[in-house]
Amino acid sequence: MPEPAELYDAIVTGNAKKAEEVTKAALEANVNPTELLGKYMIPAMDEVGKRFECNEYFVPELLIAARAMKTALALLTPKLAEAGAKAAGRVVIGTVQGDLHDIGKNLVASMLEGAGFKVVDLGVDVPAQKFVEAAKEQEGSIVAMSALLTTTMTQMRSVLQALEAAGLRRKTKVMIGGAPITQQYCDEIGADGYSDNASGAVALARRLVGVA
Amino acid sequence: MAIAGLTLIGETINDSVPSTRKLFEAGDLAGIVELARFQDEKGAAYIDVNVGARPPEFMADVVRRIQEVTAKPLSIDTPDPAIAKAGLAAYDPARAGGRKPLLNSISPLRVGMFDLLSVQPFRPILLISERVEDGRSRPCQTAEQTYQAATFLLAEAQRAGLEPDDCILDPGIAPIGSDTEGNLKRLIGAMEMLHNDPKFARVHRSVGLSNFTVQLPSKRADGSPVKGPLENAFLTKAMPLGLDMIIGSVKRVYETLPPEHPAMQCLEDCLRLGGFEAILRVREFYR
Repeated sequence: MPEPAELYDAIVTGNAKKAEEVTKAALEANVNPTELLGKYMIPAMDEVGKRFECNEYFVPELLIAARAMKTALALLTPKLAEAGAKAAGRVVIGTVQGDLHDIGKNLVASMLEGAGFKVVDLGVDVPAQKFVEAAKEQEGSIVAMSALLTTTMTQMRSVLQALEAAGLRRKTKVMIGGAPITQQYCDEIGADGYSDNASGAVALARRLVGVA
Repeated sequence: MAIAGLTLIGETINDSVPSTRKLFEAGDLAGIVELARFQDEKGAAYIDVNVGARPPEFMADVVRRIQEVTAKPLSIDTPDPAIAKAGLAAYDPARAGGRKPLLNSISPLRVGMFDLLSVQPFRPILLISERVEDGRSRPCQTAEQTYQAATFLLAEAQRAGLEPDDCILDPGIAPIGSDTEGNLKRLIGAMEMLHNDPKFARVHRSVGLSNFTVQLPSKRADGSPVKGPLENAFLTKAMPLGLDMIIGSVKRVYETLPPEHPAMQCLEDCLRLGGFEAILRVREFYR
């Protein structure tokens, strides 16, 4: 029988089949699902993020590792719910209105899931009101926005204004990213944080929910 | 340098290039002009100009300054009609031997930008990776949808008085390192459909080639380059299907590859495999 610790390597190396096999075996052996997540899976994705930051890993490795993580997580999620485990935080994510780019947004969503966040992905071309509705439904969540065009990044300000108008801004942290976005722009529109890569986005989300 | 029959649009003057953005932010127009001169000397046929979200007057100023040092025509690169208008109005065809600028780009949702032909005649890059559904832009997910977008935009361009020769179709190229949704397959499929339809025979095709290899390492495990060969593999595949223009780097050596080249085999495998298997195949290429 594979050892639960093998889950760590399976995720770091992006071996989805192995991750599935180890998780199934561990659950059958009544290993605590919270322990699997906290001891092996989240640290594995943290390691993937570190390797990405030091240019040892690139986007293909991130995607492959995230797939392995998701495979294991799909098996684990019902058990975690039964055990009453809490997510690291909740994130409502989407690409802003008028913008169809989704590669970066999807990558950030995968990495956040890998870090134990519950992620609600609104997709691309998301109107401000849809962000507001999702933030209302997922009260206390982070709103994460992506924009890849200089003509659409201005929508981020509209979302912030719509959150303010709906009385949700104080309860909602807002993080942004995408090729034309800078820290200066983040400060200018009053968002709570900016990251230029998926690994940094996880660290930022953790800071925003106060777990790092 | 480019392959014979392949027109290179120099990509460097773009706000999304970090070193160029720094020049813009520092107001270093001399530096921007130098980028134009360098790309001209290194063989770019057009110089792309993308100033990001800066004011229209800034685009106009940059266009004028660049045209002081190059006789190459420019590619006015913005989805914003006001910035495009300012760039086109400032452009002086006489300084480019009478040649028209490119307008990069017009999408199915932005056909109103054809009105800018009254400001300055231009050759449009028509973005056919998007389509309109219920009044909103949607990504084309199939070759058929891409072909339909091309049919629509070519008809709109001709209605605006443009000849097929003036039009350049951009079917949209996505990074191969994150293509889990079969974009490469859509793209090559669409290029085949366009190639087989006589109404597109005189229409040009272009892609932003550097986008194909972003997010990949620069070197393979054996120290040989990753990006150049994969981009060349794409050219080798796409040029027989009508690709005759790229937005790319003057520093890159563009060349066609033999079928047995590892990058060529990687590209063919990715086309055949799709999904995560394709991502694994790309990783195998550089690991």
